[in-house]
Order: sequence, then C-alpha cells, then structure tokens
Amino acid sequence: MRRLAIYLAVAFGLGILPAAALAQVKVQIDSPTADQPVFGPTSVMVEVQGAEPVDRVEVFVDNQLKGTAKAPPFNFQIDVGDDNVRREFRAVAHTKTGKTATSTVVTVPVEITEVMNIKLKPLFVTVTRGGRRDLSLTQEDFQVFDNGTPQDLVTFGRDELPLTAVLLLDTSGSMVGGNRVEAVRKGAQAFIDGMKPMDEAMLALFSDRLLQFTPFTEDKSVLARDLGTVEAAGGTAVNDFLYMSLKLLEGRNGQRVVVLFSDGSDVHSVLSASDALWKARTGQALIYWIQLTGGEKRKSFVSAWRDYKSNDREYEVLEKAVVESGGRIERIDRIEDLEAAFRGILRELREQYAVGYYPSNLKGDGSWHKVDVRVRGGGRARTREGYVDY
Amino acid sequence: MCARIESKALLGVPAVWLASAVLLVASQIAWAQAPASPPEAGPSAGSLGLKAGEEISAGRIQELYRRILSDWSAGKVDQAPDELIELESTVVDDGEPKTRKALFAAEQAVIHEVAANDLEVLVPIAMLHHEAYRRYLERGSYEHPQAMVHTRTMARDLGVLYWEQSGSEGAGLVASRLLTSLGGMLQQFAQHLPAAELFQQAVELDARNTTAFLGLATIYEKNSQYESTVKVLRRLLEVDPQHAEARLRFAVNLRRQPHAAEAEGAEARKVLEELAAGEASWIGPLAVQELARLHGDEKRASEAEKVLRAGLERFAGDVRLHIQLAAVLDRRGAQAEATALVEKALSVPPSREASSRYLYNTVRREAFDEARTVIDESSRSRLSVLALALSGSTSQQPQQVEVGR
Repeated sequence: MRRLAIYLAVAFGLGILPAAALAQVKVQIDSPTADQPVFGPTSVMVEVQGAEPVDRVEVFVDNQLKGTAKAPPFNFQIDVGDDNVRREFRAVAHTKTGKTATSTVVTVPVEITEVMNIKLKPLFVTVTRGGRRDLSLTQEDFQVFDNGTPQDLVTFGRDELPLTAVLLLDTSGSMVGGNRVEAVRKGAQAFIDGMKPMDEAMLALFSDRLLQFTPFTEDKSVLARDLGTVEAAGGTAVNDFLYMSLKLLEGRNGQRVVVLFSDGSDVHSVLSASDALWKARTGQALIYWIQLTGGEKRKSFVSAWRDYKSNDREYEVLEKAVVESGGRIERIDRIEDLEAAFRGILRELREQYAVGYYPSNLKGDGSWHKVDVRVRGGGRARTREGYVDY
Repeated sequence: MCARIESKALLGVPAVWLASAVLLVASQIAWAQAPASPPEAGPSAGSLGLKAGEEISAGRIQELYRRILSDWSAGKVDQAPDELIELESTVVDDGEPKTRKALFAAEQAVIHEVAANDLEVLVPIAMLHHEAYRRYLERGSYEHPQAMVHTRTMARDLGVLYWEQSGSEGAGLVASRLLTSLGGMLQQFAQHLPAAELFQQAVELDARNTTAFLGLATIYEKNSQYESTVKVLRRLLEVDPQHAEARLRFAVNLRRQPHAAEAEGAEARKVLEELAAGEASWIGPLAVQELARLHGDEKRASEAEKVLRAGLERFAGDVRLHIQLAAVLDRRGAQAEATALVEKALSVPPSREASSRYLYNTVRREAFDEARTVIDESSRSRLSVLALALSGSTSQQPQQVEVGR
C-alpha cells in the first residue's frame, strides 16, 4: 500500500504538509503522501535534517504512537487497518537537547473511481530472443490477449516496481550435512544483497513445520540475521507453506514473487498441490522453484500419506502452479549452484516487463481467463498463463 | 521342569539350528548389501586385539565367543557387544560365504554347550546379538553387511528357538518382543521386507503384541497395501480398542481401500470425530485435519470449516490447522479471515517438535520402548544363569569345527 501511495503521488503530485520545524532540526514525512488512500501494512518514511543529533523519531497515526526509531533510516512498517477512512500521520523528531520538530500528512479514503484500479491486471513478462533476454522493447511491441480478445495496455515499464518476495527455503532433514544449510544461507543472502531500496522480503525456512521466519521487511540485516540460526530437521511440506506464502503476498503490492527452494517433493502437507495451484491462479504472484536434483531424474516415492501415483500427480500439479504463475522451475545439480540460481532469478525479475490492462471481458463468475502475450518481431514471451475471474 | 527343558533342548536344538542355518543363508542372499572387498590384515581395532583380515581358527572363535558371553554375563554391557562386532566382522568375509558358516558353526557349538542344562541362557545370548545389531545400525557402519545380517539372524533364531524349546506363554512373549524390537530397528532403517517378516513372526508368537501389529500395519500402509493395513489394524483393535494411533490409521486407511463403500466412509468419520474431540496427543490434531479433509473430499466445506474451528479451539498452537482453515475459508470467499488466520499462524512461535504429520510418516523409536524394556529385563534377570552355565562348561575343550577362513 505504501508503494501504491507513492505511485499515486507521482500521478497526483506530492501534497506534504509543511513541518513545524525548529531552526535546528527539520522533519518531513516522505511516505505516505497526502490525499491518498492508505490501508493495511504501510511504510512510513521520515526524513530528518539538521545540525543537532537526533535522539529519536516517533510516528503517530491518529494520535496513537505506532513506532519509534533511534537512528536513520527512519522507516516504519505500520499496519493502519483496513477501514476506508481519513488518517493523520504525524512524525515527531526529538533532538538530544530536547528540541522537537513535527511533520503531518493526512491521507484520504479511497474514492469510487479508484476501486476500478483493483481490476487492473498486471503481467510480468520475460522476453527472450535467440536465447537471450530482450530488454529493448517498448509498449508498442506488446500485444495482450485475454481469452483471445486483444487488450489495451495502460501501464508499461521495466524494473520500476519494487519487489515483494517470499524466500521459502526447505531446511528439512535431507539438508543435513554437506554444508547444505550454509549453501541455502548463501543463496538467499545473494538475493537479499541484490534487493534495492523499497524492495522487501520475507524469509520462511520450513520442513514439515515452520522452522524460522521473518516479517516482510526491507531491512536486510533482519533477513540476514534469521538466516543464520536454523538447523535442518524434519520432513517436507511444500504445499502448506507455498499456500501460506501466496496468501501472505495477496495483500501486498509491487512485483510479488515466491522463490521456493526444495531438494525434494511434498510429503507432509495437509493441503494438496491443487490448493497451491488454486491460490496461484487466484493471486498475482510469480512462483520460482529451485530444485536440487543432484543431476538425477526425479524419482517416484511413496509415504504413509500418499502412494507413488498420488505423489507423482502432486508433483505435476505443483509444476503446473509454477508455470501458470509465470515463474519457472530451475533445476540445479549441485548445492553449490544455489547462489547463482538465486542471483539469476533476481536478475530475471529485474529484466521483466510489467504491463497492465483493464480486462474488457470480466464477469466475476470464477471462470478461467487465458492470457496470451505476443511480442512483435517474434520474441518469446513468458508470463502467467491466466487468472480466475472473481 | 528342568528335565523337560533339557530333554527338549538336546533333541530339538540341532534340527532347529539346521533350519536356522538354511534361513541364515537365505537371509544373507536376500538382504545383503553390496559385497565389500576382501579385507587385508590390518592393525587391531578392538579390545579382542583382532586384526582386520586375520584368519581365526574355529577353536579360537569358540574361545573368544565364550569370553564375550562371559563379559556380557558379568554385566559388561558396553564392552561385550563391541567385542562381538569385532569378532564377527573379523571372521566373516563378505566375499566368502564359508566364513559365515564357520562363524555360525562355532557360535552354535558354544551355545549348544552352555544351553544344554538351561534354555534360559538363550535369552541373554539373543539379547547380546540384538544389542550388537543395534550398534551396527546406529553407528551407520555398513562395512560388514554379512556380519550384520548374521548377528541379526542369530538374535532372531535364538528368540524363536527359546520359544520353541520352552513352549511357555512367557517365552512366547519374550521372543515376540525380541522380534518386534529387531523389526523396529529394521523399519527405522527402511528395511521394510525383513521388518515385516519379523513383525509377522512376532504376532504369531504373541497375538496380543500390539506393537508388532502396528509395525506390520505401517509397513503395509507405506507400501500402499491399504486393505492389508485395515485387516491388521482390525486385529490390533480387537486386542486394544482404545489404541489411538491404530484408530487413526484405521480411519485413514478405511477410505483408501480400492472399493471403500459408504459404510466404511461413515465408520472412518465416526472414529475421526471421536479422536478429534477427545484425543490430546499428537493424534488429536491429526484427526482434526483428516476429518476436515474427509468433509472437503465429500464437498462439505461448511462441515470442514466447523471441524477446523473446533480443532483450533483445542489446539490453538497448531500452525497447520490455521493454514488448513485459511485454505477452506479462502475457497469459500472469506479471504480477509483467511489472511488473518495465516498471519495468526505466524504468531505461533516456531516449533522444535516434529509435526503430527511427520510423526505419522515416521517410525518412532519410542514405539518400541515397551518391547525393548521387556527383553532388557528378561535378559538381565538371566545373566546369572548364563554366568553359571559358562563356568560349568569352561573346563571342557572347545569343539573343533572344520571350517575357517
């Protein structure tokens, strides 16, 4: 929502109320901006300038203290709730000598015309030509078909939207030994290191249970810290935690992605792969699945939960979820290749074109809309295969 | 009583051991790992001072085996099994079947001698082999597969022999637990076929051995033989109708049978409802999950929701129940509540404990604790009998058996 607010700010012009600043210190709320609707988890970004050292910055929403920071960057993640109401954000900077400065921003409820924006269908498109990604395209080079009907593109860009990622990392018992957990740590760290300002990620290390996780955060140190604390143990429950990740991404903005690393298939989930597929179809997140294959073909297996045939079917459905989301499966032979795989996926995300359109044929009937993107000149375009209309 | 045992032992032992020898060879063919390279003589690795690849005469094998039994009977529980491993792995050459036969013949000669007066010594001797096998597995040392199979087979055959020769109900109980414990070890290491054979034998020796029934059922289940699973679990539940894990597995597998009828679905549902409402162990949340899945499969989403809501009241710290309910609500259009549930799941601190779904798919060592306790106690109480038998037979010369390396 924070980022939605920023994009709208660009469109409508910034409306920051002047701060009641003292001579020695000035404070300004950079985000959110005035006259914009804000819901749910919101990033409040405060800028402080002045000669005096700052003791702390406090943020109030509707006169309730919601966060305090002692050192820059003065960025706060605040859940402001889902009510469609006017909100007052106030930042107060306190200097070491006891002086204060204040800045206030008032956001407004969403208007009916903006509800229509929800119907905007964003697509993230990877275009390759001759085996290489083509980064030279313009909006005119794209054609989008929704259930066969050509659509007008209303947004277009590349590497402009911030990323919101869930790094979903399998740290089950099969990862014990051989520096495997360390390799996972390095791989995820490579992704985190490549995050830009405004990107945010959540880390979830899982086996048959959730072993460790962070909230969504832009703070790389938080992500890095929790990476180092896990010990591999237990079985594998991909479906459950993939569903969870997709669900958590639903309420967020930007280019949403789950990067799943697993050396095996699902064994212990209560949900089926079709639950994950359904969630992938109804959401907008891309799924990338890094599989550690050890250079071998996938083997069928049996457990107390499923027979060979069911396990094979589960795997196929999960693959389908990945492909339909517009992501892909990356198979690596060696755990040492994991870091490069994470870097490659991040690079690919940065090099995707973001195109958006208002579907001309929505009915809200739960039907499947097949999406087809074509590129002039014969490039190969990969994006999500469709979505559920509801 | 003593006279009867002595008579039976004298008459019966050789025939049974002959059968055991056949079993041993068959077992080794069927269960052996890849043969290892012939060992070369190397430095001593254990307290017996044997060198790898060293040739040991039959008389020397008997002498050392007797010494190991003596250590075991004297309560040297750490030392004796390691000595047995040292002896057997030195004697048995994986590339040369004759060496296994030689070891068997030499050990048989000693056992024949010490058991001549009292069959009860078979229990601690079987337990010694059982312990040696356990150590092989736990150390993950598979360099001597034929020696491993030999010692496991010895443990099994001595247990069966004890029961056959004694004929008492108590002997059946002890032998059954011995086989169950061996089966449990094999099952833990995914050796399903030999484990199933041991469990099968165990329930034949003691039809009230619920651990063996459960072990057998879980092997059938893992091999997708759901009808057999149900049959075995029905027998278990006749013995112990309140066995929670058996009830859960019974309900789960009733529905998996190829021709499961409506009546079986209803029976499964009833069992799951009872477990979901009353079982506090790891079985409880699993019953909730499976009951909700049953409703989901039968297109009763509102029932699934109800079951999961009630389940969450009982098991508020179960992350998986949050996720499962979220998925049900999501599909029913209650997206906001589904999101809230997933977020709530993240407020549950990460668990160090294995999830109930993992436990269901895992062979838990503690499942075999009861069997292990029975054989431990039975063995300990007979160590003095073994010590006495050994002291009474030490004056005799070791038997000469014409096989060696």
